[in-house]
Amino acid sequence: MSLVHARPLQIGESEPRADAPAKAAGRERYAIDFYEEGMLWAGVKRADIPHAVFDGIDVEAALKVPGVVDILTAKDITGSNRQGVARRDQPVLVDDRIRHRGDGVGLVIAENREALRTAVQRITVKATPLPGVFDFETALREDAPRIHEDHPDGNILLKGHLETGDGTAAFKACAHVVEAIFELPYQEHAYLETEAGWAVTREDGTVEITASTQTPFRDRAEIAEALGIEEERIRVIAPFCGGAFGGKDGITVQSLLALAALKYPGRPVKMWWEREESFVASAKRHRARCHYRLGAGADGRFHALAAELFYDTGPYDHLGGAVMALGLEHTGGPYRIPNTCLKAWAIYTNNPVGGAFRAFGIAQATAAMEQMVDMLAEKAGYSPLEIRRINAVNQGDKTPLGVTLQTSTGIVQCLEILQEHRMWRDRAVWKNEAGPFKKRGVGLAAVMHGMGYGPVIPDVANARIELTHDGRFQVACGVVDMGQGNASTFLQIAGDILSQDRKHLTLVLPDTARTLPSGSASASRTTYTYGNALIKATFLLRERVLKRCADLMMVSDLGELALIPGAVCHVTTEREFALGEIARVMDGNERVAVAHFRAPQSCELPDIDPNLRLHGIPHVVFSYGAHLAGVEVDLLTGDIAVKQYLAVSDCGRILNPQLFEQQVQGGIAQGLGYALMEEIPVEKGEMKTLNFSTYLLPTALDIPDMTVITAGGHEATGPYGLKGVGEMPTSGPLPAVANAVADACGIRLRHFPMTPERVLAALKKERP
Amino acid sequence: MKVFLPGTLEDLWERWEKIPNARIYAGGTDFMVKLREGAIQAPALICLERIPALTKIREEENTLFIGAGVSHAGILTHPLVQTWCPVLVEALRVLGSPLIRNMGTLGGNIATASPAGDSLPALYVLDAEVVLADARKTRVLPISDFILSPGKTSLKEREIIRGVRIPRPMPYTMSRYEKVGKRKAMAVAVASLAACLRFDTNGVVKIARLAWGSVGPTIVTASRVEKALVGFPLSRKHLEEIAPMVEEAVSPIDDIRASAVYRKKIAINLLCRLAGDSNFNGRFTP
Repeated sequence: MSLVHARPLQIGESEPRADAPAKAAGRERYAIDFYEEGMLWAGVKRADIPHAVFDGIDVEAALKVPGVVDILTAKDITGSNRQGVARRDQPVLVDDRIRHRGDGVGLVIAENREALRTAVQRITVKATPLPGVFDFETALREDAPRIHEDHPDGNILLKGHLETGDGTAAFKACAHVVEAIFELPYQEHAYLETEAGWAVTREDGTVEITASTQTPFRDRAEIAEALGIEEERIRVIAPFCGGAFGGKDGITVQSLLALAALKYPGRPVKMWWEREESFVASAKRHRARCHYRLGAGADGRFHALAAELFYDTGPYDHLGGAVMALGLEHTGGPYRIPNTCLKAWAIYTNNPVGGAFRAFGIAQATAAMEQMVDMLAEKAGYSPLEIRRINAVNQGDKTPLGVTLQTSTGIVQCLEILQEHRMWRDRAVWKNEAGPFKKRGVGLAAVMHGMGYGPVIPDVANARIELTHDGRFQVACGVVDMGQGNASTFLQIAGDILSQDRKHLTLVLPDTARTLPSGSASASRTTYTYGNALIKATFLLRERVLKRCADLMMVSDLGELALIPGAVCHVTTEREFALGEIARVMDGNERVAVAHFRAPQSCELPDIDPNLRLHGIPHVVFSYGAHLAGVEVDLLTGDIAVKQYLAVSDCGRILNPQLFEQQVQGGIAQGLGYALMEEIPVEKGEMKTLNFSTYLLPTALDIPDMTVITAGGHEATGPYGLKGVGEMPTSGPLPAVANAVADACGIRLRHFPMTPERVLAALKKERP
Repeated sequence: MKVFLPGTLEDLWERWEKIPNARIYAGGTDFMVKLREGAIQAPALICLERIPALTKIREEENTLFIGAGVSHAGILTHPLVQTWCPVLVEALRVLGSPLIRNMGTLGGNIATASPAGDSLPALYVLDAEVVLADARKTRVLPISDFILSPGKTSLKEREIIRGVRIPRPMPYTMSRYEKVGKRKAMAVAVASLAACLRFDTNGVVKIARLAWGSVGPTIVTASRVEKALVGFPLSRKHLEEIAPMVEEAVSPIDDIRASAVYRKKIAINLLCRLAGDSNFNGRFTP
């Protein structure tokens, strides 16, 4: 037998993260960490004007700064100079119009960072200001200034209107109706690693771009079109991201770096946005207004829902249409509501760019819907748990969109587990233990989240696995790991199928030259889609390796062979061939297996606006969660302390409990930030918080111990039964905390986050 | 940029003589932020953290001397400080984060002269004096005379803060510091209150010292309010009666963190908390 006592990785075990040692030791090189001899620095001059006709820039003073090499503008771009995913409406560098303060107007290239900073400051922008559009009302006026003259729908990027049953007419039959408006704030992704990367044009003319991105393959196509070069000339390499959360789902530094590198072949060019630039130029979670009306019968059953969702997408699409569509699809949450009238708009303004952010449009809708549910429960005389149980969907039920739930649907199980938990059962005792000037409350939220790209865009992954000459299996992973740990899970999958330990598994991170297109690291799809492809590829390779080994051993029955860490062994004679030996007799093509997986797509709602289908409505696989927050409100200051938190999740089968828990906890923490403190005040398109001194993120003391439980489901279409977990938990905290605050003090806010000042003002209103 | 790390005060004066425009700092927790913002420009920096004369805590006759270069963590874990001035310990415990408390110094918190500086309300109620020194002499100023306005102090050219002197405090029954921030750590005070009170056995206030942070251009004290507390038990009703005096004493501003209206309300409510604490938490029973 082999001397290796290594234990093969196993599905279902809390295997330590493969990426942890290098990251913890500071050895992992992120896109931000590359420095090369003779490297140039590139940086962007931002417009700092919200809306104007662009008349060029004055670079004379900037060019005099010692160390400045060049200043490029839109005139240096030969392609379309437009980027975007659905609608390509965002310039690499402004050519005609300035549409928000963060627009780039010039690209400075310098020998060092100091010269770069000085030169950027010395550029002056020439522009003729235009009236700005900063709110929904102005944007939707007939005579509003149009942000994109060529867009046929004026300032409406995308709108959706879906009705089921009798629509609003059904409110007549409701015994109880509640109505409210909620204003949700911008949220900044606030990743540790700001937008960064480097690029170089190689001797063969290839532009090699290493960037912190969630979307290397899509980036390549976008860069090619925007800059007018062939896609084949572009190589995008995507190391682990130092956080992304949706903020790197799209182009940030990539085209700018390529533009600079093409101009100076052979010289590496680096770009690294400072925190303030990241705030100004990057996309945020959409500011939103949600106007809801929910009605139920005397039996507590939901009967009618009317909702209007407004998403401020800023001046560019940047997935804003898709964000709005996913919000629209999830407007009514995981409930049976036979009559609905659901409307949503993604609206162009001159505010900061709204874009992808973990929980993609659903965070806003859930914030509103889950508060409506509590309001209705109170009015109808049901407990918040009871009303959710009465109305929660099961597999085979229809969603508020009228779509049949064809896959695993575990919200009822989540609520049942929550109901039995001490945090719910013992809540009355817990609430009574509040100190002087404090009140305690317990709140719930039910969450659902659709996975993948929806019914039109193929949701595809292509896995590649290779047996290398050094006797290891190498997984070439074409989908980014932005910190959530999917790359580690891929090794766990391969290790489980091939009975290999960590040492005999290696990873190739996404690289358009070395891995296969597998879509974006987004939409809670990553492990689901790539994992399914990888399982297929790994079984293919496993069989091939065993067959070749059987030939070498002159054995006819594969059942006599077993893979063990580093080798194949004959089970009765204990003869062994090391993996390296087997690899050497195999042809290069034979040592590689690839497989393709395309996620299932819904065939329902075939007759709705095709543009809504293109933007993702409807989905077919959903994850679910039931959240509980226990809060203590300080009546003297309005401060909310979240004292306890429970999240029960149906994400199908859990492949790695530790990673699952990390994802849920991270989502809750980000959701609590959204609930309690994260916001960017914007006045005339200008953000008032530009760094972490005033934009506050929760600290360890703001987040309670979190209890994370799986409801133990199994999704038939998922790898080993898994469904996505990355985003769903983020939507729960805001409504759970809001409901807990209402439970404690009887107040409900219209404006979020729930800052102490807003809470105290509401308390004062409540009891004069 | 050059950074010098003198090991003695003599080295410091000598270095400073040679580079008169050099800027002085200790922990750097405020200084480095301003430097990065470009709000401070200097040909060189001189760091005080390696000068042993600035990092001592000792009893001197009837005062406690705390060196300007002692870190917040060093102060709040020091047994002498814990005995002499628990209110300062309470304040430093909620200053910044463990990292900031390990790096930041008391001298720095005073020199920054922010109305939100967490050590300042405590130093005001303790009647602390600031010991200043240049190459030739030392002088002493009450903290309330030393701090002039946001970011402005009486520090003269080529003078440093050597430390603070805290007189032996009254035997207070209650020492409290409460900060209201926008989160539970790493928060700038939206409003804060340092309170030291002495009660008689009937729960009647005999001595009261109060100082508010972040509700005026400097720390706010109000002898009218302090006097009004004396002679009564600390009840919510009585505190509500004297609330208008507090409202008069404070002059908060609107900024990105909070409105003036909210700050004013909190300034009063923090007093009310004292009543709640004195009744409920068992430290004091009227």
